[in-house]
Amino acid sequence: MTVSTVGARAPRLTLRRRRQLAGALFALPAVALVIGLIAVPIGQAIYYSFTQWNGLTSTWIGPSTWTQAFHNPNLWTALENNAWLLLAVPFALGLPLLIAMLLHQRVIGWKIFRSIYFLPTAISWVVLGLVAERFFAFQGTLNSLIHFFGLSHVNTNMLGYESTALSALGITFVFTMIGTNTMLFLTGLATLDTSLEEAARIDGAGRWRIFRHITLPHLSRFIQLAFVMTVIALFSALFSLIFVMTGGGPGYATTTMEFLIYQTGFAQGDFGTAALYGLILFVLTAIVGIVQLRLIGSDE
Amino acid sequence: MAEITFSGVTKVFPGDVTAVDNLNLHVADGEFMVLVGPSGCGKTTALRMLAGLEEISSGTLSIGGRVVNHVLPKDRDVAMVFQNYALYPHMTVAQNMGFALKIRGESKAEVDRKVREAATILRLGEYLDRRPRALSGGQRQRVAMGRAIVRSPQAFLMDEPLSNLDAQLRVEMRVEIARIQRLLGVATVYVTHDQIEAMTMGDRVAVMRGGQLQQVAPPQVLYDHPANEFVAGFMGSPPMNLVRARISPSEGRVGLVVGDQRLDVPAAYGASHDLPREEGAEVVLGVRPEDIDVVGGDVTGPTLKTRVERREALGAEILVHLSVADAGTARSVAYDEDVAVARPTMLVARMAPQARVEVGDVLTVRLNEERLHFFDSTRGVTLRRECA
Amino acid sequence: MGRGALFLVMVGVAVVMLYPFWVMIVDSLKSENQFLSGHGFSWASWRTLTSTIPIAQEVGSSTIICAVSILLILLVGLPAGFAFAKLKFRASGVIFLAIVSAMMVPLQAILMPEFVNITRLGLTGGYTGAVLVYAALGTPFSVFLFATYFRGVPDELIEAGIVDGLGYFGALWRLVVPVAIPAIATVTVLQFIQIWDDLLVGLLFIQNTSERPITVGLAVLAAGRTTSIPALMAGSLVSALPAMIVYLIFQRYLVKGLTMGIDR
Ligand SMILES: Nc1ncnc2c1ncn2[C@@H]1O[C@H](COP(=O)(O)OP(=O)(O)OP(=O)(O)O)[C@@H](O)[C@H]1O
Ligand SMILES: [Mg+2]
Repeated sequence: MTVSTVGARAPRLTLRRRRQLAGALFALPAVALVIGLIAVPIGQAIYYSFTQWNGLTSTWIGPSTWTQAFHNPNLWTALENNAWLLLAVPFALGLPLLIAMLLHQRVIGWKIFRSIYFLPTAISWVVLGLVAERFFAFQGTLNSLIHFFGLSHVNTNMLGYESTALSALGITFVFTMIGTNTMLFLTGLATLDTSLEEAARIDGAGRWRIFRHITLPHLSRFIQLAFVMTVIALFSALFSLIFVMTGGGPGYATTTMEFLIYQTGFAQGDFGTAALYGLILFVLTAIVGIVQLRLIGSDE
Repeated sequence: MAEITFSGVTKVFPGDVTAVDNLNLHVADGEFMVLVGPSGCGKTTALRMLAGLEEISSGTLSIGGRVVNHVLPKDRDVAMVFQNYALYPHMTVAQNMGFALKIRGESKAEVDRKVREAATILRLGEYLDRRPRALSGGQRQRVAMGRAIVRSPQAFLMDEPLSNLDAQLRVEMRVEIARIQRLLGVATVYVTHDQIEAMTMGDRVAVMRGGQLQQVAPPQVLYDHPANEFVAGFMGSPPMNLVRARISPSEGRVGLVVGDQRLDVPAAYGASHDLPREEGAEVVLGVRPEDIDVVGGDVTGPTLKTRVERREALGAEILVHLSVADAGTARSVAYDEDVAVARPTMLVARMAPQARVEVGDVLTVRLNEERLHFFDSTRGVTLRRECA
Repeated sequence: MGRGALFLVMVGVAVVMLYPFWVMIVDSLKSENQFLSGHGFSWASWRTLTSTIPIAQEVGSSTIICAVSILLILLVGLPAGFAFAKLKFRASGVIFLAIVSAMMVPLQAILMPEFVNITRLGLTGGYTGAVLVYAALGTPFSVFLFATYFRGVPDELIEAGIVDGLGYFGALWRLVVPVAIPAIATVTVLQFIQIWDDLLVGLLFIQNTSERPITVGLAVLAAGRTTSIPALMAGSLVSALPAMIVYLIFQRYLVKGLTMGIDR
């Protein structure tokens, strides 16, 4: 028997190496995109946050940019606005939870209702902002409703006053989150084993007890995920609403962190400070993000 | 078509797991070789090395005289049938079967012809346009076979291809696969942990344990002359009875003591086997369940007095569990998967259902003196002298 | 609560959720004067829509931007997801985690350097800059979703292909991608709605007015406060339509994508 030795010599690439090389090559475009357009800008933002920067030229200032920034009342106003808006989160979770429970009862036509409830999810927040503006306007639906209930002498203009504009923004935000969160909770409820509920009912547990001790614990992962997504949206997705509804005003009444970044950078041309504000926003969302990563991670 | 040679092939996984340890195995051209052994013994690993899906740590592997250690799977010209079939879900049966040919660049007409030919052999003709999802388990199995045979490869590699089928289909496909392999005459390595498949399908069977090859032989040889206790215990159901015995020489015969009973076996064993001679030396005596019968009164041959402990009726036969009067020294050896466990001396006998035995009966049983096995009591290897 | 009462509550919720559509329809069916006086209906704002808002051009821009961005996200995300799930290489676990973490970075946090970089590259005129930014923002999620999906694809499927003569690229293109259609649909739908509805990127990274997407066009007109409300509402309705249609058809993929990783 003659044994050929062609395949005996170790080639430059072993089988495993070949697989790993293919893996690295396949991952490369994604990695490059994320490094080039996300990671590098984070590094730049850190550098520029210590400079005075107008987008063309920058001068190194040093850590005093940060101390100065924290002395700027506008930053505190924006942070305060964001903090107040957090009050909307319980509503943005509670209402969808109720709606999902309603849908889960599966009364006639629940599938149609489900589609209707989710429909606004598809619409741009720019459009929803425009509609909300109509709702809160002096001649808008809100005042019509108030008059309908007999309070004809009351006329509101929530977007027009510093004291109420932020509340109007918060209410709009709750509305925009209803679809997504309902969808999450409904998916969660669908994975609930109904035999558990039935067993509890046979054991004589009341509605509230079943909800409290069976449904809610089962939904906890979904509620956590919804919480994280809602808070992140609150910090970083209100731009469209603010842009069309209030432009950040009246005064600074509806200027949140993200809108402050936009204004500082593009209205005032102070790119350095805007980059610095961006980093503050990044830290805020990272805190929430770490919670979500742990949610995803605990799955594996 | 080609022969396959493993020489000194070893696979060490990261974490120092030696899955295959110095495997030497030759599969002749056209031969049906069954790799059998308990779970985790390295069968799949050996097969995957052959397919090129797993790197070889040391040794050489050749197919058709060509060393393939570093040859890419696609250049090895082997076809593999996976346990879960791994059919391409988005392709029809015909596309599944013709895929490898299409990649190889064969003309559409050629692919079509070969697919049809294979479909005829496998009786898949009417399913060619279906997707795997719309097939039964047995049909999917056939498609997986078809994917392998259309390629006319150098070798077929099959990893437990029948384990996902129900019992009846398994019997059917067992025959079917053996038929097709013989028809095509392609060297085949077939992995299973089912000893019935091993016995019925293979030209030869290789028994593995813990990454090491135990014995390679035609099925009947394996059954009649197991190389060690492990093979003896692994092949056959119920397995061979393995009983510790002490040598006690007597005139003209080989004397043994089992428990507190004396057992004389023909002197011929002294010649054919490398039995220890000194009084009291331990050996392991092996006897298959079918080689034990009940006898009444005075008989010649090796007999033991036993008590019936349990009786299992299986319809066509009954299994009788017998305890041997025990002085406390005798133990029998049994293999539970691949761990040796010691138990009080028990024998399992296979008897005709007419046999009138009841639990509690005291029986004299005779061991078939032509078919006894002896193993070294410490190393477990057979004491039989190889007769050329 | 009885079934009847339950049904009424559901109708009530439906009215609230349909309110935006009602506003858009009713307000768009008025002329500017009718809108101010609050009485009467007409097609006026629809008839003059194309002269008030360059609607055809803007919808076209939105479509191109969405299509190219999504294509890029898929082209980059599919191989990467395959690599992280099936072709583990050195440090692939850490790199995967890093990419997934990038999902959490809001654009505003890196807005200034991003804007300056893209401007320096001369890409803020037409679509290119915006497409790149959308692709970068969409990639982490798509990589995560594809990797999760591919982990569920049996190794044997790929190995069968390799024994049949495929390379890794062939296995990806001819076996893995066809099997991943549901995941591709999920990414496509989520990204379509995301990009179609986005304002910030389009507003800043597309400077040519003639290449503006619809959402940006509406927002800019609205913020200017000189365009008539009925016209804006008609435009809004037009802009909302494609996303709604996509959404209604592919609802289940959307739900799957949202809960990816936590439902079993
Ligand atoms: N990729 C791997 N990394 C580390 N160890 C492995 C790997 N694959 C297999 N092993 C180990 O190698 C040994 C042999 O595995 P193998 O799959 O070959 O067994 P098998 O004989 O096919 O078993 P079964 O009958 O259960 O399929 C086992 O101990 C297994 O845990
Ligand atoms: Mg195996």
